[in-house]
Amino acid sequence: MRRITRYASMLMVMAILLAAISACAAPVAAPSGAAEPAAPGEAAAPAAGEVSFEFWHIQTSTPELLQNAVDRFMADNPGVSVEVVPLQNDPYKTKIKVAMGAGNPPCVFPTWGGGPLYEYIQAGQVVDITDFMQQDGYVDRFVPASLSNVTFDGKVWGVPVENSAIAVVWYNKTIFEELGLEPPATWDELLAIVDTLNENDIAPFAMANKTKWPSSMFYMYLVDRLAGPEVFAGAATRSGGTFEDPVFVEAGQMIQDLVNRDGFVEGFNGLDIDTGQSRQLLYAGKAAMELMGSWQISTMRAENPEWVAANLAFFPFPAIEGGMGDPSNVVGTVGDNFYSISSVCPYPDEAFKMIQYLIDDASVAERGAAGRIPPVVGFTTDDPMLQGIIDLIGNAASVQLWYDQYLPPELGEVHKDTMQALFGLEITPEQAAAAHEEAAVKFFGQ
Amino acid sequence: MTTAARDNTQARITTRPRPLINEYALTAALFLLPTFAFLFIFVLWPIVDSFRLSLYKWNGVDPNLTFLGVDNWTRLAKDSVFWRALRNNFIIVFLSIIIQLPVGLALAVLLDTGGRMFRFFKVIYFLPLLLSTVAIGILFKYIYDPYFGIINATLEAVGLQSLTQAWLSNPRIALFSVIAVICWQYIPFYMVLFLASLTGIPQELREAAYIDGATENTYFWRVVLPLLRGSIITAATLSLIGSLKYFDLIWVMTEGGPVNATELMATYMYKKAFNSFEMGYGATIASALFIVVLVTALTVYFPLQRREEDIAG
Amino acid sequence: MKTKITAKSVVIFVLAVLWLLIAFVPFWFMLLTGFKQSLELMTRPVWALPENPIITNFSNVLANRFFRFLTNSTIVVSVSIFLVVLISSMAAYVFARIRFRLNQPLFALIIAGLIVPIHVTLIPIYLLTTRAGIYDTLSALIGPYVAFSLPISIFILTQFMRQIPYELEDAARIDGCGPMGSFFRIILPLSRSGLVTIAIFNAVSLWNEFVFAFVLTSSPSTRTLPLAIWDFQGQYSADIPQIMAVLILSALPLIIAYVIFQEQLVKGIMAGAIKG
Repeated sequence: MRRITRYASMLMVMAILLAAISACAAPVAAPSGAAEPAAPGEAAAPAAGEVSFEFWHIQTSTPELLQNAVDRFMADNPGVSVEVVPLQNDPYKTKIKVAMGAGNPPCVFPTWGGGPLYEYIQAGQVVDITDFMQQDGYVDRFVPASLSNVTFDGKVWGVPVENSAIAVVWYNKTIFEELGLEPPATWDELLAIVDTLNENDIAPFAMANKTKWPSSMFYMYLVDRLAGPEVFAGAATRSGGTFEDPVFVEAGQMIQDLVNRDGFVEGFNGLDIDTGQSRQLLYAGKAAMELMGSWQISTMRAENPEWVAANLAFFPFPAIEGGMGDPSNVVGTVGDNFYSISSVCPYPDEAFKMIQYLIDDASVAERGAAGRIPPVVGFTTDDPMLQGIIDLIGNAASVQLWYDQYLPPELGEVHKDTMQALFGLEITPEQAAAAHEEAAVKFFGQ
Repeated sequence: MTTAARDNTQARITTRPRPLINEYALTAALFLLPTFAFLFIFVLWPIVDSFRLSLYKWNGVDPNLTFLGVDNWTRLAKDSVFWRALRNNFIIVFLSIIIQLPVGLALAVLLDTGGRMFRFFKVIYFLPLLLSTVAIGILFKYIYDPYFGIINATLEAVGLQSLTQAWLSNPRIALFSVIAVICWQYIPFYMVLFLASLTGIPQELREAAYIDGATENTYFWRVVLPLLRGSIITAATLSLIGSLKYFDLIWVMTEGGPVNATELMATYMYKKAFNSFEMGYGATIASALFIVVLVTALTVYFPLQRREEDIAG
Repeated sequence: MKTKITAKSVVIFVLAVLWLLIAFVPFWFMLLTGFKQSLELMTRPVWALPENPIITNFSNVLANRFFRFLTNSTIVVSVSIFLVVLISSMAAYVFARIRFRLNQPLFALIIAGLIVPIHVTLIPIYLLTTRAGIYDTLSALIGPYVAFSLPISIFILTQFMRQIPYELEDAARIDGCGPMGSFFRIILPLSRSGLVTIAIFNAVSLWNEFVFAFVLTSSPSTRTLPLAIWDFQGQYSADIPQIMAVLILSALPLIIAYVIFQEQLVKGIMAGAIKG
């Protein structure tokens, strides 16, 4: 008898477990369509008539900038509730893909514009917000250069919000003074500085290239200084250009020349920028310069304000004598994070309104105070370093978007890998150029 | 219920009509049900789906997929990065087995025979396993830092400047630098595994051996080790599989770089699937990884296990 | 038992201490750094003792939803471990003790389960979770956690159970015990060391599990400990000492649990050995 009851109870437990599991085991088909979206990332069922959606962002170091804006939006729009989800940069890239691949992305999400955004657009996942932007001339609020990263096929797909960030050479002015050095105007002058620094046992450039994109900045600038932005644009859009253009090869040669001259700290391909391994070298006086985006200001101020006040300065990337590019050109992004609306969102109007609060006047003031440069026309600041950056952007004849953001993601990855290999002297400049071209041909089919 | 004449350990699912369902078969089915329910839903179905995806070109966000047939697979066969990754994986297999298992076993023996003094040691020895990969990654990035790290600093302090390296940046040694950290992390795992087995060996055996005149050494090599055979096979199989599908620390410390020097099948798959928007090709790599590991594991485990059973009788 | 001080035992002791240092040094670094400010870490020698030790890193962590994360982690991991131990011991018993034709092929499936890389399963499991309506809840995590812990647990437990002498079961069978009785009365108690071992391994890996936790949850109230470091990591920077504080506080519960349970491990063996 006991045996039977034991079996019976086991069977019951099994049955319950199985029932629970099969309740969850809806047929797991691979996404064959973005159709039938579950409510886009709703955490709670809305009351009748209430609007509710999710907003993801990656500003984990300053979440209050966004939360404050959203709170103001919700206060002005009772009946709309927004769940703000701050996510760290790298996990975000995976999570958004998983969500999109499953047809369930949040209503509002950030991108860096360029190629990756275009992939989403082509897949029909992004709302065309041209009309929203045109309404009441809202689009005029923004610095014109900021919209180029989110404009495709003549339509606008994202709102520039976060930060204008360009790459400049940050340097330790104290070291420069001690050694009698002046910020260089040309590449040759820079090389002379490199040699002097080496003679004094100071590494010229700090660089943390584990993530590969820091090295790309040199390449982008050199190409632009040598020949202007058209060469890259022509190659990248396959409109008559090629990545094997001699300009690319020459840029590669100049880079390897710099590496061979001990222009960089040792072991840069293994240093991690996220843990500050390049900045540490600057603070310790072991390196004198770093080519990096202008977010460097706020990062360094948070880490080491005294050092920044005493030593930090920047100069724009030098010109190349005989180069055809306009020396006022800059490499970077005007907008950094752009917010888009996913096409499965049932509330695009409210979503757009919410985005507008992220860059309204109150937000702009908060961002300025936090050391950001919002991409709005007429933004000025009392901070001399930030204002210097703003002036550089304002005077730039053109702004080249980071290659790994401009290009389709597949090519962007090839570019970054190639850069790491080029700087590591593992491949020749010709091979680097060929690698880009080959990948482009394969991707675009021409 | 009859108790007599039931064969010892046979549960026969036969076609012979039986008055009652064989009790053992019922138990087997019942006991295995929850396991396979969980496995099929969460683990095994997705890998099957991954094989299906490998026949397509898909960027991960587009509802439309392009059928490619076996193009992804021919691309994989010619992909030098993949073969490099495969080679790196096998290097990890080899080094993990010859380092982690012996050291883990040695520590387990130490803790088992060492007595009360080592109870404190045991906690410290276990610590590396407790840390998350993120923590270990950050820590060892500082340890390996060419300028501020403790390794180079120590080398310089004892006058061995020439041995200082860019541990994570030099393509020739980066893989080995990370393998050292993997060993650091996983030795406690094998230590605990072997310790659990060791403590199951009854004291009487040791006493009997001593009575027979065995030394510590002979006791270990002739009595303990054979008894641990099963554990060692298990450990070796786990190490093999773990090394071939490894992802975590490599990703945190080098992302497979520099220049694919530390690329593994799993990191390559991740990059293709999530960074390059090439989900179809990523699925191909995942499927290939699965096949490689499955074939390797089965060819190692079952023959060894059968021999073990033959020996154990 | 006299312990002789031989050359060999000295060497062994030295090696043991050496490994003690190797195992501990990174922790030492963590502790050191947790008491520093970011500024100090960046400007003074990385391995120096903190000049002005601060505890704000730790207090920041504790004030900032830490206990919420801790609770979530504890719930998810406890439930998962319970299920894993129960289900895997049942399956291991079958593989270790019941001979039937499908034994090997099914065990091969278990091995296959060991091999599947989790990233491959992200999208299907995410889909499943959203369709079941449990996205962003703790229950969403339990399914994948249990499923991915089962293969290794079964694999290890099977091997443990194989080592239990057949004679014990034969004796029980003669007394009228069926397979279930055998399982509950004999095998399970004798496998205690194996059960504790897999409980420990799974607890550790699930406690630190990151990928499913971040894909299947979004609101901060459902997050688990590993995600806590996000609050201190920005797009281009990270407050390392703060992160160290988080990691130390996250590891503490595990360390405490291990210290308590490893006593259980020893006691369990003793009980089993005596009975045998």
